[in-house]
Amino acid sequence: MSAYVEVTDLRRRFDVSKPWLNRVIEREPRKFLTAVDRVDFAIEKGETFAIVGESGSGKSTVARMVVGLLPPSAGEVTITGVSMTDPRQAAARRRLRARIQMIFQDPYASMNPRWRVGKIIAEPIRAFALIQGEGAIRARVSELLGLVGLHADDARKYPHEFSGGQRQRVAIARALASQAEFLVGDEPTSALDVSVQAQILNLMRDLQDRLGLTYLFISHNLAVVRHMATRVGVMYLGRLVEVTTAKDLFAAPRHPYTRMLLDAVPDLAHVGRARVPVSGEIPNPIDPPPGCTFHPRCPLANDRCRAEVPALLDGVACHAVQEGRA
Amino acid sequence: MTEKILSVRDLTVAFDTRRGPLTAIDRVSFDIHRGEILGVVGESGAGKSVTGSAVIGLIDRPGRIAGGEIHLRGERIDNLSPEAMRRVRGRRIGMIFQDPLTSLDPLFRVGDQLVETLRTHTDLSAKAARTRAIDLLAEVGIPAPERRIDGYPHEFSGGMRQRVVIALALAAEPELIIADEPTTALDVSVQAQIITLLKRLCREHGTAVMLVTHDMGVIAEAADRVAVMYAGRVAEIGPVASVITKPHHPYAAGLMGAIPTLSQEADRLSQIPGAMPRLTAIPQGCAFNPRCPKVFARCRVERPEPIPVEASRVACHLYDAAERAV
Repeated sequence: MSAYVEVTDLRRRFDVSKPWLNRVIEREPRKFLTAVDRVDFAIEKGETFAIVGESGSGKSTVARMVVGLLPPSAGEVTITGVSMTDPRQAAARRRLRARIQMIFQDPYASMNPRWRVGKIIAEPIRAFALIQGEGAIRARVSELLGLVGLHADDARKYPHEFSGGQRQRVAIARALASQAEFLVGDEPTSALDVSVQAQILNLMRDLQDRLGLTYLFISHNLAVVRHMATRVGVMYLGRLVEVTTAKDLFAAPRHPYTRMLLDAVPDLAHVGRARVPVSGEIPNPIDPPPGCTFHPRCPLANDRCRAEVPALLDGVACHAVQEGRA
Repeated sequence: MTEKILSVRDLTVAFDTRRGPLTAIDRVSFDIHRGEILGVVGESGAGKSVTGSAVIGLIDRPGRIAGGEIHLRGERIDNLSPEAMRRVRGRRIGMIFQDPLTSLDPLFRVGDQLVETLRTHTDLSAKAARTRAIDLLAEVGIPAPERRIDGYPHEFSGGMRQRVVIALALAAEPELIIADEPTTALDVSVQAQIITLLKRLCREHGTAVMLVTHDMGVIAEAADRVAVMYAGRVAEIGPVASVITKPHHPYAAGLMGAIPTLSQEADRLSQIPGAMPRLTAIPQGCAFNPRCPKVFARCRVERPEPIPVEASRVACHLYDAAERAV
C-alpha cells in the first residue's frame, strides 16, 4: 500500500545565468541554483506533513512542485498513485487536480480584487463543472462560507472589505470548493497577527477532523509547525536533513541543524534566558559548500562531512549522527 | 532605583483626515530606565510603531502629537523645533528599523556612513572616526572589520547589515535606542544572534531600549518590562515574566494563549473572537469590550485607567477595588 503523496528524488535547478551576451563578453559560464536536491518523503492520508526551514531552504519550491505549479528538474511526485509529471497520465492527472488545492501566504494577492467573494469561491466549482445550475452553486458557496466561519451574505462582498484573517478564510473556502482532499499551505498564517493566526490554525485543524483532509504545511515558524504537524521534514539549503514525527522532532531533535534551529527560536517559555549563540548564516545557494552543506556552521563537522554528502538514513542526514558522534 | 531615561506621559497622537481627527495613540504613558529594555507589543494597528515614531519626532503629517509630554532625562523633547529635534535624533536617540537596507545608503561604503554619523555627532577627527568605526563594527560582531569597513551594503548579508545598522545607532553613544521590529526580516538563527547582541550592548553601555515588535518570543527573551498595546492604548505594562506567564488584562491573556509555543502542546489555541477595531470605530468605554470574555456593563461606557496590580499596571475594570468588593 503506497502513501497518499509520494515524493521521490525530487530535484529542481534554476538557471540564474547572466544574459547570453554578458556571458560571452565577461567569459562567464552558465550558473545554476539548486533549490531542491534529492528530496524524498511520503504523506499518508489524513496526516499533516510540515516542511520547515529558513529562507532559501527550498521549502516553497517543494510545495510548488508537489501541486504541479512548477515542473521538477528530476524526480517524481505521485499523488494517489498518479504521477504529476508523466505525460501518459495526463487524463488521470486532470481529474486529480480538483482534489489538490493550495493556500498562499498573502490571500489578497491570490484573489481577483474585482470579483465578489461568491464568484471567487464558485470559480473552482465552475472550472471543474462539479455542480450544475446557478441556484445549486449559490447554495454550495453559502455552505462553504459557513464551513469556514463566515456568513452567507459575505458572498456579495469584495476581497478588500475583509480583514486579513477573513480573507484567508475565503481562500480556504475556495480551496475546499472543488471537494479538495489535499491542501498545500505555503506559510498560510505568516502574514497574520497572532490572535488571527490562532483562529486560522484552529479552523484548519477542525476542517481536517471533519473532512479528513491531508495537509502539506510549509512554514518557517517552528511553534506553528509543532501545533499543526503530525510529521515534520526539516530542510536546509535544498536538502531534507531530518524527517520524523513532530513528537520526536521537538522532544529529541537529532540533526545538529534542527537542534540549532530549535535552540534559536525565541519562545514564551524562555523569559530572560541566556542563549547559546548560533554561529553563521545560510550560505549562498548558488555556490553551496561541498559535502554536507551545513558543515561550516556545524560543531560536529569533520573531514568526512566536508567531502561527502550524507544520505537520509533512518530519518536523518548526518554523518555525525550515523557514526554515533552526536 | 536607576535613572529614568525616557518618560512618556499621556501621549496622544492624532491623524487629521477629511472626516475629522483619528486618534492612533490615546493617552499612553510609560518610562524606560537606564540599561533597561522595554518591549512594546501589539498586533498590527495597535499603535506600537507610531509610539516609537512619536518619541523620535518622526510623525509625518497629517499625524501630529495632540497631547501629552515626552521627557528625555528630564528634558522635554516633544515640543522642540525640527532643527533641535534633528540634533537629538542620532545623538541622543538611536534608531534601528526593520529593513536594514532602508537605513543604509546603497551608494556609500559602510565605513563612510559610520564616519559621517560619528563626525556629525561627535568632534572626532576623520582618522579617529575611522578607527572608532572599525571598533564599532568589531563590537557588533562583524568579522574582519578593518576589511569590511570598505564594503558596500549590498556586499553584506541581511544579518550583517542589521549589525551595521546597530553600529550606526550606537555610534554617538545615545541614551536611548528605538528598535522597531529589528529582527522581523531575519531568519530565526540570525534573529537569535541579533537579540543576543542587542541585549549585551544595552547592558554594557547602559542604553535604554524601546523594542517594538509583534513577536512575543523576542520580547520574552530580550525585554525586562513589556507594554501590551491594543487600539492605541496600553492594556497592561509590567515585568516581562509576569505579563507573559500571568497576564492580568483579558486581552493580554488571550494574546498569550493564542501563541503556539515549542514547550507545550495544546490541542487548540485559545482564540480571541473578532479583530482589532479600526481607528474610525474604536468602541466606547474599554476598546477591548466587544471581544472581551469578561465584559460587564461598566466596560461599555467608561474607559478603564491603568491601575497597579501586583508589579504591573493594568487598564481593566476587573481590577478596580470597587468592582472587586462587589
